[in-house]
Amino acid sequence: MTQVHPERSEGADALSEPFTPGAPSNPPELAQYPETLAGAVPVPLADPKTRAFVDEWRNASYNCFSSGHKFCREVCPVTQVERNESWTPTAFHANVVAMERGELEIADIAADYVNCTQCGACELRCPNTLFTGDFYRFRTRTVDVVKAVRALAVESGVHQPEWQSWNERTDLRTHEPVLGETPVSQEKVRDWAEGLDIPIGGETILFVDCEAAFYRTSVPRAVAQMLQLAGYEFGLMQEQWCCGGPAAEMGYVDQAKKFARHNLDNWRASGTRRVLVLDPHDYISFTEDYPKYFGDEYDIEVVLVIEVLAELLREGKLTPSVPVDRAITYHDPCRLNKRKGIWKEPRELLRAIPGLRFEDVDRVTQWSYCSGGGGGLPIEKPELTAKISAMRLERAAELDIDTLVSACPWSERPLSEAGDAEDIDVVDLHELFAQSLGITVGGSRGDVGDKRLAQERTGVPGRARRTRGGGGCGGCGGGGGGGCGSNGGGCGCGGH
Amino acid sequence: MAEHLPQTPSAPAASAPYRRSEQLTPPPAVPVSEVAQTTFEHVYEVDPRLMQQHVLQQVFPNWDTLRIMRSRADHLQWMHQHFASTVISGSEILAEVEAEAAPAGQPLR
Amino acid sequence: MTATAEPMGTTPLGNRPLEPARLDALVQALRTVLADDQILTNKTDRYNRARVPAPFPVHRWSERLPDLAVLPTSTEQVAQIVRIANEMRIPVVPRDGGTGLTDGAVPMRGGIVVDVKRMNQIHEIDLVNRTVTVGTGISMLKLNERLAQHGLFYPDDPASYPCSLVGGRIGTSGWSLIGSRYGHTRDLVLSFDHVLPTGDILHVGDGIGGKISKSSSGFQMKHLFMGHQGTLGIATKATLKLFPKPEAELSPFWAFDNYDDAYACTGALARAGVATFAGAVLFDEYKVAYLRRDDEAYIPQPGDVRALVCSVMYGYEDEVRAGGKRLFRIAKEHGARYLGDEISEGDWAARHDRYATPLHGRTKDGQVIPMSWHCEDAAVNYANVPAVSKAWHEIIARLRRKSDVFDDWGMFAYTSANTGVDYLTEIDVGIWEQRLDDAAWAAWVDAKREIAAVAIAHNASMSACHGSCREGEVDLLPEELGRGFDVMLDVKRALDPNNIMNPGKYLLDGAYDNACEGTSRG
Ligand SMILES: Cc1cc2nc3c(=O)[nH]c(=O)nc-3n(C[C@H](O)[C@H](O)[C@H](O)COP(=O)(O)OP(=O)(O)OC[C@H]3O[C@@H](n4cnc5c(N)ncnc54)[C@H](O)[C@@H]3O)c2cc1C
Ligand code: SF4
Ligand code: SF4
Repeated sequence: MTQVHPERSEGADALSEPFTPGAPSNPPELAQYPETLAGAVPVPLADPKTRAFVDEWRNASYNCFSSGHKFCREVCPVTQVERNESWTPTAFHANVVAMERGELEIADIAADYVNCTQCGACELRCPNTLFTGDFYRFRTRTVDVVKAVRALAVESGVHQPEWQSWNERTDLRTHEPVLGETPVSQEKVRDWAEGLDIPIGGETILFVDCEAAFYRTSVPRAVAQMLQLAGYEFGLMQEQWCCGGPAAEMGYVDQAKKFARHNLDNWRASGTRRVLVLDPHDYISFTEDYPKYFGDEYDIEVVLVIEVLAELLREGKLTPSVPVDRAITYHDPCRLNKRKGIWKEPRELLRAIPGLRFEDVDRVTQWSYCSGGGGGLPIEKPELTAKISAMRLERAAELDIDTLVSACPWSERPLSEAGDAEDIDVVDLHELFAQSLGITVGGSRGDVGDKRLAQERTGVPGRARRTRGGGGCGGCGGGGGGGCGSNGGGCGCGGH
Repeated sequence: MAEHLPQTPSAPAASAPYRRSEQLTPPPAVPVSEVAQTTFEHVYEVDPRLMQQHVLQQVFPNWDTLRIMRSRADHLQWMHQHFASTVISGSEILAEVEAEAAPAGQPLR
Repeated sequence: MTATAEPMGTTPLGNRPLEPARLDALVQALRTVLADDQILTNKTDRYNRARVPAPFPVHRWSERLPDLAVLPTSTEQVAQIVRIANEMRIPVVPRDGGTGLTDGAVPMRGGIVVDVKRMNQIHEIDLVNRTVTVGTGISMLKLNERLAQHGLFYPDDPASYPCSLVGGRIGTSGWSLIGSRYGHTRDLVLSFDHVLPTGDILHVGDGIGGKISKSSSGFQMKHLFMGHQGTLGIATKATLKLFPKPEAELSPFWAFDNYDDAYACTGALARAGVATFAGAVLFDEYKVAYLRRDDEAYIPQPGDVRALVCSVMYGYEDEVRAGGKRLFRIAKEHGARYLGDEISEGDWAARHDRYATPLHGRTKDGQVIPMSWHCEDAAVNYANVPAVSKAWHEIIARLRRKSDVFDDWGMFAYTSANTGVDYLTEIDVGIWEQRLDDAAWAAWVDAKREIAAVAIAHNASMSACHGSCREGEVDLLPEELGRGFDVMLDVKRALDPNNIMNPGKYLLDGAYDNACEGTSRG
């Protein structure tokens, strides 16, 4: 017997058998039952800003609230280290529902929303994204909700002290104050490129984020020299301002838009059609924020440097040949892997480097990894960033490696600090690839990076912790130590 | 471990250059049932007529649709590996059972 | 609001926060045990520990708030917190993952939420005896990531595998999807440290042993301290039984053109006695119609696919292959059509993710609405599964005739054991919480009571996994347990003289003279 009864029994109706709602072939009576129970939607709130906010985000947050199952908990970097239910993706949505009901106000919730790196793990792991997001064109939007709450806070005059001062200084200097007391400025934004002879403007420009332009200058230097080596034409921006992304992440939306406007106008003025991006955070700004700000006007092509390099590698225009004697694992930057699904090209590049021993951790396991460096967290709560990067290095330290490779300058400062504690070098993918192309990169790898690099020239830091391959191999220096094969065995000095 | 995760070809790669107008133009939808349609290979979508009243669809660039579809496949693969080292394919077992059931001398199918 | 009998001891007493002076005194006392960042008193701290995924009337959220929450990191801290609470007569609500579906971790009388999530350490992996000892705030998924490095595996696999935690598994005596092969939480937890409502610490297991799976010494108390929904105390550190990580998995899905054949096939698979058999699942015709809304595997299936059966096996590859052949033969005899490797493998791997998805919700004419997932989960003997299913769908149809607030998401029946004796028989109901006011809630509570009554009338237990604490079903607990319910009251009174441990649950307030008043809050 089936549960579908072709001939209906006495008293039965269309609801007495299974059906798939919305099918045009369903009995029309399904649309005709009068509604007798549904309650009213909540009354509108008095405060116009909060009302507008709730109207915009109600359903997005409700889509989590009514699941409420916390599949996101163990991938959220903040939740993993704090295990405080108030600082979870679930809470970030529930608070919006509580606001809709008039139970909570922006002042009650604003400080909690500091505790998010906007890594996107929760959104992706959420079944409402992963299993039905594409089907409904409606997915979990924790990152957007966090940004919107931060924006509402700023708009309502509820500031976080460090963020407020950071954004004031950024506004003043048109760049983020990544060097602390040492001022950053328009005159210095191209200093990293000293001696590289890169033209200004042109159809394709390389955009360099504040952290890379002022702090980890080895990254843009590596990128620029590789592109030059392959004969890839590009210029630098005429007057580059911060992309505005960090301001948007911290809730300073007007400032973010002002910066974006400047950059777009500047590209226009110099005939730029294509923007090369080496920093995943900029990549998000240019492919998600700018399109929202500018709509149809936004006809700029945005290209990730890693993609260009992978293409040049495939075409044989770049062939890494200098062996790199390191045992590495790769850190999938959140904004590439989780937020954009980009994980393949970085591995392609790493696998092409001779001499490298690569212990990979798959991209899904890495959904729960984060450096803690995003979303303004290190500005307002550096101690929390440090906990998150320490947890990331703990995972790395379980492997038989001496180096953690990242591809995101913003992750590399906190990771380097945590890596120092574990005696693990943190190197940028672009730096490593350039090294293998025989390029002397130059520039700075930041405080910790420079310190470790200096040690490496004398005593190979990190190598001591390896149990396999190259372990204790005093004779083969780091960097381009060509004599030392990748498989350790060839080194003549086995592990311990 | 990473090598065991599947790689889904077809449709632009996640790292393909970003152009806004392209991203907002999905392949034309083809109905697959009374309530669903398909766009990219492996991507099913609700018939948009069912999301006009209570929940409205979000702006969904192609990269996002593809990212979700591909991540889902990755995640499922990860779950298999998390619970067991190998997955035995049912069709192999079925073929064996049918072969044993087929009377001797008869061609298998 | 429709007139319904007020269920004794479950109706929240309303939002009665502690007076400021008592709250201050409590915080002062807690500061002698905990650091400041372990004592949370903000509004958001309290609102976010006042709900679980089960739908509830959101406009009454503030009635369920605790006065504060604490995040202890050791058994000793938990014990001291409970001692303070017991002395001050302030309720304590144990909370772990907060994924329980019967409101167990929701405060009914305010008080202190003891959130044990920070106790998530792995204390010991004993490779020789094959056990692991963990803090109860750990997730099974995270634990298994670590155990995999040793080729080991802790097989407690609820659909909430990515989010529920070991303490909540103990507090609910949970049910596992692969329990027919490996047992359920009660079989997998060997022993644990447990803080009694007086603050005393008890080690409970089989006998006193930490790593003993079978003892005959004394009363068998382990079961008593599992599944009590936090009303008898707080488990802090547990020793778990480990298995080798399975070499192979096989999870065929079969289609049928009618429910009866699928039902017969499920029974035959479960009764076959195949050692690697980890479970069978029957999807009824309502479930299949529902899956056609948005499940890529079933949208393209031909119309004569009306019911489904899935079976899963784990073990060494050779034994899984041999057992698999036997099950395939049985399926074939019952007219099954194998759905192919892609659906079989993918749907099994998706088993955790497909439940609480709001956009599954539909009005009767098909518009998408965000709905909460409610699951009624009786433990039903095989023989009674069809009758219970039929009656339950009728109850939901009656609700749907009145309103679009409720939606029928179909039914599963899962084997609980390796003999096919009983099934977790689950009806999934979508509830449109945005429109759930007092009247709609009352209609739902009535329906829940009817659902529970149907189960009991069929000699079933009202709940196979979640517990039966909520309005609606809990009213029928004395009916289900009979004399056993009085024993529950006696035990509760003996162990928790002041009714501080999760008051308002399971009608246990009835164990005290001041019945509905619960803990004095003066
Ligand atoms: C999508 C989804 C699928 C689910 N599938 C299943 C399933 O297949 N099988 C199943 O069994 N359940 C299932 N559940 C229900 C839920 O996950 C389980 O009940 C789980 O055991 C609850 O664990 P938790 O850590 O979230 O506990 P919580 O919800 O925090 O607590 C549950 C109960 O235990 C008590 N408690 C918490 N910690 C302790 C402690 N340390 N000591 C003593 N008592 C404590 C609480 O007071 C409460 O009464 C599902 C839930 C969801 C959301
Ligand atoms: S974000 Fe997603 S996974 Fe997390 S609680 Fe909300 S619905 Fe569940
Ligand atoms: S975006 Fe990342 S840090 Fe923020 S809530 Fe989600 S998982 Fe946590």
